Amino acid sequence: MKHGPLMFLGVLAAVLASWLVAVLAPHFQIGHEEPILIEELGINYPVDRPGEAKQGAEVYRAQGCQYCHTRQVRQEPLFADLTVTDLGTNAVETRRVVASLRRDLAGVDGRRLPEELPRPLLKHVSYAAAEAALRRLTNAGAQVELTLANLGPDIARGWGARRTVARDYLRDHPVMLGQVRFGPDLANLGARQTNEMRLYLKLYNARLELPGSTMPRYPYLFEERRLRPGQEPSPDALRGFGFEPPPGIEIVPRPEARQLVAYLLSLKADTLFYETYVPRPASAGAAAVTNGPAAAPPAPTPPPAQP
Amino acid sequence: MSSPQSPPPTAPAAAPPAPRPVRVPVEAIDRSCRWPVLVLVVLAAGWLVVAGALAVLAAIKLHAPGMLAQHAWLTYGRVQPAAWNAFVFGFASLAGLAMALWMTARLSGAPLRGGGVIILGALVWHAGLKIGLLGILAGDATGLEGLELPPYASPLLLGGYLLMAPWALLTFARRVEAEAYVSQWHLIAALLVFPWVFAAAHLATNFLPLRGVLQAAAQAWYLQNLQVLWLGFLGLAAIFYFAPKLTGNPVPSRSLALFGFWVLTIFGSLAGQVRYAGGPFPAWMSSVAAAAGVLTLFGVYAVAVNGARLGRGAAGRFRESVVLRFIALAWLVFVGAGALAALNSLLGVRQLTQFTLVTPGLDYLWTQGVAGLALLGALYYLVPRLLGQGWPVAGLARAHFYLAATGILVLAAAFLVGGLAHGAALKDPQLGFILVVKRYLPFAATGTLAHLLWLGGALLFVLNLVLALVRCFQQAARPVWQAWWTPQPTGPQPAEVKP
Repeated sequence: MKHGPLMFLGVLAAVLASWLVAVLAPHFQIGHEEPILIEELGINYPVDRPGEAKQGAEVYRAQGCQYCHTRQVRQEPLFADLTVTDLGTNAVETRRVVASLRRDLAGVDGRRLPEELPRPLLKHVSYAAAEAALRRLTNAGAQVELTLANLGPDIARGWGARRTVARDYLRDHPVMLGQVRFGPDLANLGARQTNEMRLYLKLYNARLELPGSTMPRYPYLFEERRLRPGQEPSPDALRGFGFEPPPGIEIVPRPEARQLVAYLLSLKADTLFYETYVPRPASAGAAAVTNGPAAAPPAPTPPPAQP
Repeated sequence: MSSPQSPPPTAPAAAPPAPRPVRVPVEAIDRSCRWPVLVLVVLAAGWLVVAGALAVLAAIKLHAPGMLAQHAWLTYGRVQPAAWNAFVFGFASLAGLAMALWMTARLSGAPLRGGGVIILGALVWHAGLKIGLLGILAGDATGLEGLELPPYASPLLLGGYLLMAPWALLTFARRVEAEAYVSQWHLIAALLVFPWVFAAAHLATNFLPLRGVLQAAAQAWYLQNLQVLWLGFLGLAAIFYFAPKLTGNPVPSRSLALFGFWVLTIFGSLAGQVRYAGGPFPAWMSSVAAAAGVLTLFGVYAVAVNGARLGRGAAGRFRESVVLRFIALAWLVFVGAGALAALNSLLGVRQLTQFTLVTPGLDYLWTQGVAGLALLGALYYLVPRLLGQGWPVAGLARAHFYLAATGILVLAAAFLVGGLAHGAALKDPQLGFILVVKRYLPFAATGTLAHLLWLGGALLFVLNLVLALVRCFQQAARPVWQAWWTPQPTGPQPAEVKP
């Protein structure tokens, strides 16, 4: 390569191009996002955290919690299962529809459909196909149940009702997504753990509640105080859930621990809006669908947890 | 192109008509490099040990969480980033700069200029890193992996860099031969890319932060460029310089090397978002990154083929030269890590390995495996040239190689296999999280052994370096010493110090 300057320019152009594609293009796409008004709940999502929780974000960052905990929920492409619970009054017509849906069972002429229908009738089909089949079956008078399948292990574990999207992090700086799950995901910790005492005890010594946990202890976020004889421990001293402080000692959370717990309780990414659309699993009877609106908009409630 | 230095520098043929620069003798070049490069090497060696000790501490804390828990500044979430920064910015970057300055001067056939400024730059960088590391331990890390250096430290690093690196470019501009060597492409690209990537990422996340997850996008871009275009290219520069030099074979295919260089520059730079594939980003970002990640495989293939042909028939040299062993292992790790990273970009694989030990495992392969091993090899070669004498204890260098090689291979095996177990456990929602912990913990604990081996090797290197410096100092000081102790009634006379 004789052309030194050409190489300089080439390298700079390559890195500039990757900066344009990997950082600036998404910036033009989602960099102007604003919190979204959700009328049903009367909130601007994401909700601004209370002051103590904002301070807690700094404690979270300073302890480096994100080196072991992610804060992002993944979701896999959506599939659905369809189960026929009742053939209804017009069993002949229903069985004809079922035969057209499952040619593999019914044979070419549709006569070899077994007496006992498989449950679920359709397994892991696309949501649109399941919905179309549901409409045909309910029109024929059958009772049908549609369940979402394959939301992914994160949602199955109860780490969130839906995947996390860019808008969930609008008010965070820095954004601590995390890259390794040495511990569970925390994107929705505040939604599944609402007891602050348990969080305090977890921070004080995670192995009190869960022997074998590898979470570090954070004793420096707590203060050990000696009690005078007869003195009652302070109301926010650690107690309960099988924890008894040594006699004559009380363990009280310092302000950092309070802030951190306030932050952890504020971690919720379960509000639904159009980017996070998860179709409501319909369990539709004939009457409900034929008389109802064609496609109801998703209500802003999380779908029920997976079985 | 034949090996860079293997033919002894011949005197220039009949005086050319134009005032062509003349190739300066190697000894003069080494003398011009001595002080600045030696300062960089000594600082890098110190950071190598600091980083190793911190990494051992972090690795122990991962499976013994109660140890030293009462000290806030030793909690895992601070020691881990401190270890990474000490290695990448302490050892790898300083040793990389040392190698870059020396190698550019050698390949350009021109003495290194800017000695004092380079030393100043090294000290500024060193001070900035020290402040930054203390900041991280005090809880001032910025919160983004890889960009932890607090805002009051990162400008110092950049300032130090700008005092050091331009001298390599200026020396390169005065090169004797217009044709640049393969190692020089990688070196110059790395030197150009680093300040731009470092400054842009710190600006986009700390000083003028982008909104929301875009910070993470900038972080992923930065980590990828740091790993491939800075650490990876420093490693490749060492591989393409020392492998031809020590085996005596020329780089087999210059055009293949050129192809690999551009593929790695263009696609390696773009594949960062693989880190957050499936995360809270527009879906096209993951797709672009995955495509780029797979395409880097062509660049890795080019390096693999060129390297394999370089090593052919040179088995005897491996037994003689510890430098060549380091370089060959770095090449092997580069090929392995590059292929695994490309494989890891595929969606199906990524769904299994994301958020598992595979992520830190691949990072370790790039930082310690490629850059660490290659730069250690380079230091083992260049320090004797600077000091003008060989290593005091050659056995220590061989022991270091075996410790470092075992450490890297144990770490890679534990984290890659353990990552698969970790990923399979995470994928099974019936498994309570404490059982997931039980699945990955033995592998994470094996990491402690790997880091201990690495640290042991680092200590041997430092011991060897200290012995060499002491011996060199003694030899330089002996005439002065003797002059002092010899009574000289005629009054003080300048001792005859050898130039």
